[in-house]
Amino acid sequence: MAEREWAGTTYGNEWMHKWLIRMLRYIDIRVLYVFAAIFIIPVCLLLNPSRGIAYRYFRHRIGFGRMKSAWMTYVNHCLFSQVVIDKFAMFAGKKFNVEIENNESFLELARQKEGFVQLSAHVGNYEIAGYTLECKEKRLNALVFGGEKASVMLNRNTLFSSRGIRMIAAGTDMSYLFELDKALTDGEIVCMSADRILRSPKHIECDFLGAKANFPLGPFSLATMHGLNVLAMNVMKTAMRSYKIYVTPLPYDKSAPRKEQINQLSKAYVAELEKQVRRYPAQWYNYFEFWNTTPTHAPEK
Amino acid sequence: MEQLINDLKQQIKEVLNLEELSLEDFDADAPLFADEGIGLDSIDVLEIIVLLEKQYGIRLANPKEGKAIFKSVRTIAEYVQANRKK
Repeated sequence: MAEREWAGTTYGNEWMHKWLIRMLRYIDIRVLYVFAAIFIIPVCLLLNPSRGIAYRYFRHRIGFGRMKSAWMTYVNHCLFSQVVIDKFAMFAGKKFNVEIENNESFLELARQKEGFVQLSAHVGNYEIAGYTLECKEKRLNALVFGGEKASVMLNRNTLFSSRGIRMIAAGTDMSYLFELDKALTDGEIVCMSADRILRSPKHIECDFLGAKANFPLGPFSLATMHGLNVLAMNVMKTAMRSYKIYVTPLPYDKSAPRKEQINQLSKAYVAELEKQVRRYPAQWYNYFEFWNTTPTHAPEK
Repeated sequence: MEQLINDLKQQIKEVLNLEELSLEDFDADAPLFADEGIGLDSIDVLEIIVLLEKQYGIRLANPKEGKAIFKSVRTIAEYVQANRKK
């Protein structure tokens, strides 16, 4: 049976990461893209259960035919390798072209006294946003998985701290909860992904791409307990060295009972995520059994 | 102190939506996070942090204190009594 939870860390050991960053300082990323597509991805597809997970996603959730689902599984893994390479290329100092849609929503909230919450997902390449969205008014706190490789955390901290971004690692103790709460009560921005259940098993079941899926309760609970504004932030790869950031305000009735607020906010988030996934189906990178139901065959296209 | 413990039990019950738990069964000394206690998790801690801010004007600035404060309702009550601003 395939995994229902994400392992939670970037693939490879620290030596590999350092070697990759060093290499990316000197060679064109296209060389690594091609190398990954020809030599690494086929091996990964043979050995890794992500093959079946991605295929079922394309076949049953997106509704592609068998051949197209198989091809898109390969494309999806190639794109995933590219965003990982891009992430390390950023660590190595490479630049990308980034277009921002609806940046005014971000700037408007940044000018306000209150803090706000930014929700992302494991689609596209969220870390690119950290290099692009300038916020002079507020500190940005990114909640990251506490079990991530030390080399990744060190590089993130080195590069992001100069841009006023702080990493809060969600560890097994309570300290990250205090840091999150303090950041929000101090009027800062908290960014987190809202598509993976980590630390707390509490979840909310939502309709997503035609089936039920569990989303973590924490991000929606955190935003509504403080009555804060929320933005969805999805960063999608549009070309070899280009990304587009989609900034979308997520509305909810702050005067409604708490449970209803969480319900409205989670639905708004999931609707926006579904819109982006349908727009960029190959950039879905949750390689675990995401949906609750046994998939039924969607009509072939 | 007993009045504060009872108030906290009621407030925690409400904020965490613990409808099935009666105040009599809510042991003030039971561990909040272990399986033998109420079994709260990280989201519940955040709810209680915000509750303490709103009801008692307490901002928990030192994360290292968290584990000791949230051990049981009684330890929360002791912290509230010593630090409340409302």
